[in-house]
Amino acid sequence: MQQIAIKINGKQYHLLADDHEMLSHLIREKAGLTGTKTGCEQGSCGACTVLMNGNAVLSCITPALRCQNAEITTIEALAKDGKLHRLQEKFVEKGAIQCGFCTPGMVLTALSLAPTINMKHGADSLIRQIKEGLSGNLCRCTGYKKVIEAVSEYLLEINGQQGNNPAKPGSLKVIGGAVGTPRPYIEAEKKVRGAAEYADDIVAKNSLHCKFLRSIHPHARIENIDIQDALNLQGVHYIATGKELPVKFGVLPVSQDETAMAVDKVRYIGEIVAAVAADSEEIAAAACKLIKVKYQLLMPFFTIDDSLNDAGDNEKIHDVGKFNNNIHKKAELRFGDQREGLKNADVSNKMLFEFDGVNHGFTEPHAATAIWDENGLTIITATQVPHYLHRALAKTLEIPLSRVRVIKPYLGGGFGGKSDPFPHEIIVSHLARKTGRPVRVRLSREEVFLTNHGRHPSKMTVEMGISFDGTIKVLDAAIAIDGGAYGSFGVVTSYYNGVLLQAPYKLDNFGFCAYRVYTNKPQCGAMRGHGAVNSRFAVESLIDDLALRIKMDPCALRLKNFLDSNTLTVGQYRITSNGSREALEKVMEKSGWKERIGKLTKGNGLGVACGFFISGSALPILWNELPQSVVHLKLDFDGRVLITSGSSDIGQGSDTMLAIIVAEVLGIGMDKIFVLAADTLLTPVDFGSYSSRVTFMAGNAAKDAAENLKKEIVAAVIKKVDVNPDELNFNDNRVFSNDKKVDFSWMEIVDILTAKRGAVSVSGKYISPKLGGDFKGAGAGLSPSYSFGACIAEVEVDTETGFVKVTNVWGAHDCGKAINPLAVEGQLEGSWHMGAGQAISEQMKYYKGLLFNNNFLEYKIPTSLDTPDIHASIIETIDPEGPFGAKEAGEGAIHPVIPAIANAVFNAVGVRITKLPISAEDILAKMKENKPSGDNK
Amino acid sequence: MISAKSYIKATSMDNAISIAEKHAGIFRYIAGGTDVMVNKFQGNDDASLLIDISEIAALTEIHVNDKFLEIGALVCLDDLKKHPFIVSNFPALIEAANSVASPTIRKTATIGGNLLCENRCLFYNQSEWWREAAGSCLKCNGNICLASGGKKSCFSKFVSDTAIALISVNAQIQIFDSEDISLKPLESIYTGDGIHPRDLKMTAILSSIYIPRNEEFRSVYKKLRKRETLDFTSLTTAVSLTKTGRIRIVLGGVHAKPVIVYGFAGNDLNLLISEAISNTRIIDNDTYSKAYRKEMIAVFLNQSFKELQLI
Repeated sequence: MQQIAIKINGKQYHLLADDHEMLSHLIREKAGLTGTKTGCEQGSCGACTVLMNGNAVLSCITPALRCQNAEITTIEALAKDGKLHRLQEKFVEKGAIQCGFCTPGMVLTALSLAPTINMKHGADSLIRQIKEGLSGNLCRCTGYKKVIEAVSEYLLEINGQQGNNPAKPGSLKVIGGAVGTPRPYIEAEKKVRGAAEYADDIVAKNSLHCKFLRSIHPHARIENIDIQDALNLQGVHYIATGKELPVKFGVLPVSQDETAMAVDKVRYIGEIVAAVAADSEEIAAAACKLIKVKYQLLMPFFTIDDSLNDAGDNEKIHDVGKFNNNIHKKAELRFGDQREGLKNADVSNKMLFEFDGVNHGFTEPHAATAIWDENGLTIITATQVPHYLHRALAKTLEIPLSRVRVIKPYLGGGFGGKSDPFPHEIIVSHLARKTGRPVRVRLSREEVFLTNHGRHPSKMTVEMGISFDGTIKVLDAAIAIDGGAYGSFGVVTSYYNGVLLQAPYKLDNFGFCAYRVYTNKPQCGAMRGHGAVNSRFAVESLIDDLALRIKMDPCALRLKNFLDSNTLTVGQYRITSNGSREALEKVMEKSGWKERIGKLTKGNGLGVACGFFISGSALPILWNELPQSVVHLKLDFDGRVLITSGSSDIGQGSDTMLAIIVAEVLGIGMDKIFVLAADTLLTPVDFGSYSSRVTFMAGNAAKDAAENLKKEIVAAVIKKVDVNPDELNFNDNRVFSNDKKVDFSWMEIVDILTAKRGAVSVSGKYISPKLGGDFKGAGAGLSPSYSFGACIAEVEVDTETGFVKVTNVWGAHDCGKAINPLAVEGQLEGSWHMGAGQAISEQMKYYKGLLFNNNFLEYKIPTSLDTPDIHASIIETIDPEGPFGAKEAGEGAIHPVIPAIANAVFNAVGVRITKLPISAEDILAKMKENKPSGDNK
Repeated sequence: MISAKSYIKATSMDNAISIAEKHAGIFRYIAGGTDVMVNKFQGNDDASLLIDISEIAALTEIHVNDKFLEIGALVCLDDLKKHPFIVSNFPALIEAANSVASPTIRKTATIGGNLLCENRCLFYNQSEWWREAAGSCLKCNGNICLASGGKKSCFSKFVSDTAIALISVNAQIQIFDSEDISLKPLESIYTGDGIHPRDLKMTAILSSIYIPRNEEFRSVYKKLRKRETLDFTSLTTAVSLTKTGRIRIVLGGVHAKPVIVYGFAGNDLNLLISEAISNTRIIDNDTYSKAYRKEMIAVFLNQSFKELQLI
């Protein structure tokens, strides 16, 4: 350890640094500047970027001692005198901040880039330079589009040039005109300053650090765990093993199949076997190495086929089910008559599709701190579902629900990957109870990948038939999905793979059978577009193929088959507003489809696909009669409305959405709203951020609450003055009658309301209407509303290498009503970026159950250079039950983009993609098979 | 229990070497450190002493004389493109440097460090825990090569992109150690042994790179990777043509060392391609398959020949 003199943000520090300590650790843990984030610790994501003597460096791979006498600038230094740096303002203004975890690194990289940019070669050159300059900074939320816009406008401005959208300094806080006004997130400024605290930024005094010993075998019985040597290590406080936490949990009541640590056996490489609480991470890690585990190895099951088949004499992964195999769930539903449908089809095709698993790739690794005191357990953790975690902690720790408090701080992206209760959350809670000290844990990126819960690897055979006039006659899918070692959301995923094919097209004869199997790999779960992304790919590829066979334009075929608004699907989903047609027509227009299709040169292609998704599940995960969402409002003497909601803002902007809705109903400015969310002690229950439910359900609850507050105000006003309550208007921070004879300012209203009463609290709720059929499985995929969308993708395929470059995505998404258009665009752009990743480069690759690509270097999230130019269109159809007509926007958009890219590849080189990710090798091989007849141009 | 670690900043090459000699076997030089620190994070490098040579000013200079372009080993990859002479005379080197890692890493990573970066393999560049679970490979003290399914030879890939470009233009390197200063062809330090891929004394320091000016090279550089940035190479090719018609083909990412094939304009180029392919030792330890990488060698070389107007 050496003393280091280092100037950080102009302040001289004299710190003790370990000799091999990294700068990021020094900045965060010793200087306490947590605006600098660590996302990968291997220099692959850019979140830790700081300026060292003015140059951008990756602080996670910069030795702290190299910085002796250096001047370090972190994100915290950029704002001066209470005012953001102009570049920060641009990030806020353009909506370039979603979860905000990559933002500090992105801003500092952009700032260091500024002097190197050559402004003399026009707009395209500028964008290219920005994309190149930011290409070491991964962002999983924005698709980079708004980031690039922010940087571009900043550069134009500082170089004395105005962009298309002249800057308006000081215009960050949009007030009034609430719903439908594009606005930055309410917390955007805090995020861009580096002041927003994420789970690993919040340090409880006197915390211990937790590290895990993980299984190195995919399937083995645990015969003995010897912790004695590890316990003897100085600085170790407690070592927990599985037997201390034997109660099973799982996010679904039907899949309570997991324990916090392996109890008798391990089921995947990476499963937690023991946990150490120690004075430092380093000591805890050293102790883990001293724990000796004796295993008896069992035959592992790695593939879908292994697990579908009879296990023979080998031990099954879970001792459940009637049969001697590893099938976790079979889901089958049939409507109409598929045989008849096939008979009536003029043209049909059956194709086999295969998909590798993919991971959410959120930039913030899981982290949590558990504190145990006289109030029981408090856990601060990166979770999408505080409510379900609350229940799981009470269950597994065997304590009353009233002794658990879950707090979600700012969260660095989720995409479904933080929507289960997790072992590490249960374990640190247990360790805090045992040691009487707060216990922290932060997972390495490798551990995040091992925790997984990503999209299931899948295989499916899908058959479709159509008539010569393009009417879809039949759809039948046989699906198998690889769930990994535990259940997670898998039962739902199994159904979603099938049921979410019953729209957006009218189908009379539709059926599917889906199997989910257990394998000895990290478990899969919910990921953006849950369940139906892969099967949607299959169907949209088949439609493309069938359109070609009957020589019909694939857009025309889709337009012919769309379901109407206000109708039922074959499986009795209630479709309310439906913007499929408008969405497809919009992307056709924007991409110049009619003018360009069929006229591109070989290697260049356009492809189209459509999709739909639920706006929240109409049924709760855990069957009970709680409303799906409750929102409380409190109005006190100061005129501010406090919104409390259990909903979990994971970077998608739900806190802002709640504020906008309440502001709109009450006609007040956003400055009079304060949102307190996702603290299970203080906020009423919301089921969490999954299945695209928050805007619809929490938004409706907020609207209901605001309307109830309005009623209270009206009642107070009519007691005081003679006015017809129906004539009272709430607008522009005033309450006034039509004839303006009654006209109160908001503060006058507050005085009237609180007189002799004090603060007024009201509640609002959302309960989904009863929907769906009465057959088994009818509840799967039921939603009070559905979103619809379409994408057209453009690709360039190198016919010599097979390399696919996605150049453009034109997407349109029917979100009902964009409560905040800037946020909706951000969700769409992020979805299309993520979809492009699954299409082109992302896959989880295993070696004997061991994940190969467990880092951001080998797991290939598209960078700013790899992400296509995205052109988003919002379609508004005003859903009758959504808050102000709103539906979901965060997940459904990913569905069409992947098949659109694959269909574009077919259009470019005549190769039908049936495996994801699209591989250059497959393309070349198939092009060779196709010769000489393969050229479709 | 937790091993003592130390870190020393060297003030000169002599100082660095003298510290190194006193700590034989436990030290590692770091320049940019962008490769070493990741290897340390993953437990592949367990040197307890880091000797930081990044502030040795003498190694950060670029000189041009009649015979050579001399690039100090500590010149950052990002700085090469700021040097007009290199940009106009050795564009393939600029391309190679710009294809390494990400822009931010290139501001720290040095050209010397890139020439000496460790060989890579999907089975090796993993955490200590991962390698234990996989069963350690030859390169991390195991008995067999896991990537090849049990061979007794290490197939870790040579991944320095700038080395490929530099060898194609006949670059030499200056090696400085306590006994002497030597100048040798860059390719001569690469052994082809995946476990010990460089034949350099641990205490020696690569101080500069010399590129001859009298051959008037034209070079074409190409790199295969999934993404347009960040990724290490799956195949790097550099083909140079001198004014006298001498062709030098250099491949990276397909062997534990650079693969070099010589020819002349007018030779049967397909034979040169076949020779290049037959000299590789590719196995499935990369994001792309062995077959595809082999196939791409011919594609890249043919494209390069076309760009050099050899065909």
